[in-house]
Amino acid sequence: MKSFNGNNGTPWWRHWRFWLLVWAAGTLVLAAVLLWDARSWLQGAPRATFRATRLNLWPLEILWWLFIPAILLVQKSLTRVDRHWPWAISLHGLLAVIITALFVVAQAVRLLLVNHLPASFLPVVVNDLRWVGGWSYVPALVYLALILALYAVSFYRQWRDGQRLTGQLQVANAQLETKLVRASLDALKMQLHPHFLFNTLNSITSLIRNNRTREAEDIVAGLGELLRRSLDHKQEAMDTLERELDFLRRYFEIERIRFQDRLKVEFDIDPKCLRAQVPSLLLQPLAENAMKHGISKDPAARLLRVSAQRDGTRLMLTVYNDGPALPKDDAALGRGIGMQNTHARLLMLYGDEARLRLRDNTPQGVRAEIILPFRTSSSP
Amino acid sequence: MTTTPRDHWWMSLALLVLGGGLALVFLGPRESLPGVARGMHDRDVLRIVYTQVLRPDPHVRMLPLSTYNQFILSLWEPLVECDPLTGEPQPAAAASWSWSEDHRLLTLRLRPDGRWSNGDPVTAQDFVRAWQRLLRARIELAFTLFPVKNAESYHRGQREKPEAVGLRALDDLTLQVELDQPRTTLLVELSDPLLAPLHHSTERVLADQSFYEEPAALVTNGPFRLQQANADGYRLETSPAYHGRAGVRLAGVQFIRANSSSMGALLVAAGKADLMPSVNLSAERRWPTRRAMTVESELALGVVANYFNVTRGPLRDLRVRQALALAINREDLIEESDRAQLVPAWSWVPDMPGRPGLTLLTEDANEARRLLAAAGYPGGQGFPVLRMSLPLWMDGNPYPAACCERWFHELGIRTYVTYEASVQRAERINAGDYDFIYGVVVATVPDPADLLTTFTMPPDYSETRWRDDVIVGLLAAANRKTGPERLAILEEAERRAMAAVPAIPLMFERRHTLRSTEVRGWYGDPLARQSPRRLWLDLPPEASLPQAMPGT
Repeated sequence: MKSFNGNNGTPWWRHWRFWLLVWAAGTLVLAAVLLWDARSWLQGAPRATFRATRLNLWPLEILWWLFIPAILLVQKSLTRVDRHWPWAISLHGLLAVIITALFVVAQAVRLLLVNHLPASFLPVVVNDLRWVGGWSYVPALVYLALILALYAVSFYRQWRDGQRLTGQLQVANAQLETKLVRASLDALKMQLHPHFLFNTLNSITSLIRNNRTREAEDIVAGLGELLRRSLDHKQEAMDTLERELDFLRRYFEIERIRFQDRLKVEFDIDPKCLRAQVPSLLLQPLAENAMKHGISKDPAARLLRVSAQRDGTRLMLTVYNDGPALPKDDAALGRGIGMQNTHARLLMLYGDEARLRLRDNTPQGVRAEIILPFRTSSSP
Repeated sequence: MTTTPRDHWWMSLALLVLGGGLALVFLGPRESLPGVARGMHDRDVLRIVYTQVLRPDPHVRMLPLSTYNQFILSLWEPLVECDPLTGEPQPAAAASWSWSEDHRLLTLRLRPDGRWSNGDPVTAQDFVRAWQRLLRARIELAFTLFPVKNAESYHRGQREKPEAVGLRALDDLTLQVELDQPRTTLLVELSDPLLAPLHHSTERVLADQSFYEEPAALVTNGPFRLQQANADGYRLETSPAYHGRAGVRLAGVQFIRANSSSMGALLVAAGKADLMPSVNLSAERRWPTRRAMTVESELALGVVANYFNVTRGPLRDLRVRQALALAINREDLIEESDRAQLVPAWSWVPDMPGRPGLTLLTEDANEARRLLAAAGYPGGQGFPVLRMSLPLWMDGNPYPAACCERWFHELGIRTYVTYEASVQRAERINAGDYDFIYGVVVATVPDPADLLTTFTMPPDYSETRWRDDVIVGLLAAANRKTGPERLAILEEAERRAMAAVPAIPLMFERRHTLRSTEVRGWYGDPLARQSPRRLWLDLPPEASLPQAMPGT
């Protein structure tokens, strides 16, 4: 019985193979009973008659048992043809007629056998039944009622599956939100990294000692803004590229104090892209990686360029640094928490339509590329 | 998410094959089909179709159907049989008979060569035994013997000893029947298959149904004996012990069970049977083969009528009853589809062998209106609504309603029809709470007097509540007479009854038998008591199915 278990955990007694087996067993038992009962007649015993057999005496309604699998199969197939309902209605009407005709013919065959009429009289008996009111249309009504019931069950199941799918989507949404929060926390973690924070605070102290209080105030304000956005759990999952870049600028302002004049940040942004919707805090982890594994590792490195371009229906975002090339086990870099989160968020939000790629830039530096659908807040 | 029908080509193919096969069956050939040639084992075997339950027991009939009569009369021979032409009694198991002077004592002398199929002699005691058994049966059957002295009281349990009944076996070959009242018709009544003798073993054989396993165990005294019995029917063969075996031209008779009258007719058309009694005919019926067949018709000894309750309101007035009778139009009344089965009735007794029917009734709507006005109801004004009671099973019968329609249109008389369950209807009729009823009376005796007794019943037991002492006297006188003198008395009684209009005869029923033209010797019988002994087969040399003549 274990073999009946489907991949989705359907219990064995709800599997169609089980019921097909039940039907086949029932059919075998039925056939055995009928044939055993009629054995004398089938063997041509002198006193045996078809009239006295259960083949003749049992009600014709047992034919429904034989029709059940065919009806279920047809109904299931036609339910899938939901965009061809005139075809389905016509076919069900035809089947109702055929089933009714089968009952009439079965009755006529019985009469033929009971009355010992020749087989060539079958059309005569069928027609004769009509004149004596023997054409019962009840099977057509039963069939249509059965089909209606099956459709009702089928539609109920579809509705139930829809409800289940809705629930699954809600769970996925919740997971997405969790990822977002985690990204925020990661960003906060990065920002609150002691080295980063101490360097920043030392820079502020130095500026104050040198009476560069205006610059010190700007850094404090920038640090405050970074912390505020990182801690804002209510922020939307999506934001405009313009706000995302603004956040990056604040970040680079602080980093620039650390690296003095060594750090050169360039923004190459197509103005058309500013209204594009991108996931919140998407670029910050990439910039963080560029600072950490690029600019910091090579004293000669100084350039970090962020660019955004529209390519038809796609938005291409790039974070470039002129630092050292990727280590050979660059996969390790890709497995970093920031990169993994970014990748997971893109997958959830865009599926196959988004792509994240980290690669060496010829002749120098490293590029992190994100390609995603170009959408604005007014897009459908 | 969509699947086009092309994805299920096999399903479409299956439906196409199935539909095509069914179309072939439904639209297949239904005319000029080849029939079934008569097998050599069926040569000289008359094959009769029956549709109702048939038991080899004279005392289990539900209705006096043709096949029941033919079946019983094949196996058993009563004391007398009626002449097909004159209706007069002829010797059968009895060789002769004599009446006492007061016509209350009938002495029958059995033929000395009468033998049971096992060779035992047929004795008077065999008849006494059988008739005592009949008196223990249902009243619908037992009443046949009620004219016999003390028979009714024995049946009702008022007498315990069967010896008290007026049936005596004076010796092996002499049977004496004592009656309560003179009844010369008793002699023809003895032709009833119910009154066949029974061998002393028969009751046991019928009880244990051993005849299915051992057909010879059913001992009979008729021209045929049981050869085989099963659910599909009975096969009889000529009885070698039958006294008139030399006159029997058939080798046997087979009674074939069919599911319906229609199937029975098809069996005849297919060449698998030769006779189908009580066949329903329709003008548009076309036979599937070219077998030569003909339809034999005979008037049933019965009458369809409206019975007035002459004790109710205006129906007490003879002029009103006459007006209602004159307003009927029988030709219009009979529906086109029933014209083969029903004929207008112009008297109470239909045509019968030896006694043509009379023309005693007329139709005249103007005279009807005049009589109604003379009775005080011009144009039906002031006439109360007539109440008619019908059994539930008669719902859908067009004739009662057609009569009411006619009366309303011609006379302005309205009718209220109620359809009731049998118990409620019986209570209503017993209480006399009706104005008229629609019904059929069927004779069980081949004699006009049997139908005329409708008007001699005590009023409380009569549908009409009408009784004429003169008619009672006439029938009593007729029971002491025979031949033309008796018929004249009965005609006078019938004229008197029709003049008083206690009931309006509407229609006589015609019975049809589908007969292969190979069957010869067929004769009409008002009670459908044709004996297969009188029939024979005229077969072509090869006994094959004739193809030349179209079916009738």
